[in-house]
Amino acid sequence: MELIATYGLNFLYAAATLGLIVLGLAVVFGLLGVMNMAHGEFVALGAYSALIVQQAGLPFVFAVPLALGFCAVIGWLVEWSIIRHLYRRPFDTLLATWGLAILMRKGIEVAFGREYKSIDQALPGTVNLLGVDYPAYRILLMALIAALFILLFVWYQRSNTGSRIKAMVQNPELAAAVGIDTARLSRYTFIFGVSSAGFAGVLLSPLVRVEPYMGLDYLLSSFFILVVGGLGTLEGIMIGSGVIGGTDAIISAVFDKTAGYMGVLVISILFLWLRPDGIYARR
Amino acid sequence: MKRREFLKASLASTALAAASSGPLMLTARAADPLKVGILIPLSGPAGLFGPSSQNCAQLAVDEVNAAGGILGRMIEPVYVDVGVPPAEASQAALKLWKGGGAEAFIGMHDSAVRGALTNLFKGQVPYVYTPVYEGGECSPGTYVLGETPAQQLEPVIPWIASEKGASKWYLIGNDYNWPRDTNAAAKGYIADSGGEVVGEEYLPFTADNFDSNLAKIKDSGANAVLITLVGGASVGFNRAFASFGLADSVTRLGTLIEENTLAGIGAENSKNLFSSAGYFGSIETAAAKEFADRYFAKFGADAAALNALGQSCYDGVLLLNAIAAKAGSLDAAAMDAASEGTSYEGPRGMATMKDRHVSKDIYLAEADGVAFKVVQTFSDVAPGNNCG
Repeated sequence: MELIATYGLNFLYAAATLGLIVLGLAVVFGLLGVMNMAHGEFVALGAYSALIVQQAGLPFVFAVPLALGFCAVIGWLVEWSIIRHLYRRPFDTLLATWGLAILMRKGIEVAFGREYKSIDQALPGTVNLLGVDYPAYRILLMALIAALFILLFVWYQRSNTGSRIKAMVQNPELAAAVGIDTARLSRYTFIFGVSSAGFAGVLLSPLVRVEPYMGLDYLLSSFFILVVGGLGTLEGIMIGSGVIGGTDAIISAVFDKTAGYMGVLVISILFLWLRPDGIYARR
Repeated sequence: MKRREFLKASLASTALAAASSGPLMLTARAADPLKVGILIPLSGPAGLFGPSSQNCAQLAVDEVNAAGGILGRMIEPVYVDVGVPPAEASQAALKLWKGGGAEAFIGMHDSAVRGALTNLFKGQVPYVYTPVYEGGECSPGTYVLGETPAQQLEPVIPWIASEKGASKWYLIGNDYNWPRDTNAAAKGYIADSGGEVVGEEYLPFTADNFDSNLAKIKDSGANAVLITLVGGASVGFNRAFASFGLADSVTRLGTLIEENTLAGIGAENSKNLFSSAGYFGSIETAAAKEFADRYFAKFGADAAALNALGQSCYDGVLLLNAIAAKAGSLDAAAMDAASEGTSYEGPRGMATMKDRHVSKDIYLAEADGVAFKVVQTFSDVAPGNNCG
């Protein structure tokens, strides 16, 4: 019983954190069609923001505005200098952002070194939940992510900006013709996407390894989730995260980690082959 | 046709003869510098150890040269990046050996690269292999300095069993030959200490979520975990391990948890964590302390942290010097004949060559925050049987 509760909580944690990580990529790739290969590096930027705050002796929460600021500035620069010239050319965005990813990794290496860094947990210790001693910080994290997704869902459904984004995604020419500033809207969407990656980096930094190459892990799992969940909707992100996180958790629990990873790959391949639009596609 | 082929063949053999007699002529003139290829990872996943490896090798080269060099010849180190696939590393070594005139090699890299190099060198050029590894290397001309599983575990597992009450062991590692061979050796020592193995698992290098492993460890009732995960996987695993509150009740022992890995694990996650190795930056012997002082005096207080892998390059130079001095020559055959019983003294303590491996002191350290504190020294531990 205790084991089942542990696996259940682990599954929820995996799905929630995967959803948080993939959100930024889903926005940039799903709405703008930009295959942002530097997505993981923005996550890393968030984690290093937490490191800066820790080294300065400030409370952990200060890392959030710092990371959002960092990512917004770099996101703005990147969109202005590179991305805006490449909308509707997905393959070119892939190459350009891969170059950007290398540059960002090396930049982090120059600034902080190759070494592993350790971020202290803001909320150490465990809490007894459903008869299981579970890390307190993880429970807080799951609650935060759930709240974030609900807020985002409501905002995207109800707000004017949400409607404008949907209009732009479905028909950019028509949207521009009715007076929507699509260039500006695209820029803000891109900045939102990379900033949310940075936000994910801050929240996850106490739980993961922090080093210049950490971003690569997040890129790969994010693409798997988008393949399964489909592009362009929050529902797709949640379903994709659940399927990928769940497959890995269940198969790893029953067999071993290698089988779990293989299960994720098999599912991704099956989706690309049989259902390339994913479970919950926009169209 | 025939004539042309004959001409080609004779030309080639003359060229070969000239090439192979070159180094011999150099040896005759003692004042010529001695080119030594130092093969270390400067890029790739192990690139983290590049700076400390290069610093340590350079420190040894400078000190040996200041004392008169190897057989009176000044060492001229050539650093080669072997953080690349084995075929590329082998190409680079070949170029340096045949084209660049290197007369000896010192390598700190993975076993895949070592396999390619022993195939290339075929015992014709002395080659010192320095890092911790899985044991079993028996090629002529290859001198192994690193810790074998027998050295890291044979004395240590009984100590953990008696001092920490470890009786139920869970073995977890990355999925390749070093963890598997280490665990194969560990099983024997665990059984000898009266313990049992309650679980064994190997993870792909891509693993970054260890929750299912931790649930299994908890469920197995293990009171000790032997960790052969490497680098980032070890960092991620140990952080998650401690966040689940397992550190208080379960003792962790790692055979490749060095200073960088411990820094990534972090002070709040390192309770009850032990590491077994031939070197730690914090060894308290006079030789080790003086070595650390010289290292930081030369490269600055913020130089790459000392660790067992980087430091092994220093000992690699000392070992090459010791064997060459005993043989009185850098000829591969002469060195092979003289190697047995060669001994030298370095920061790690006294080491003696046996079956082209070294028996030496092994240190067991307990993590104290993000520093290691040596809790037990095992003197002159034999490398086990590696040729049979």
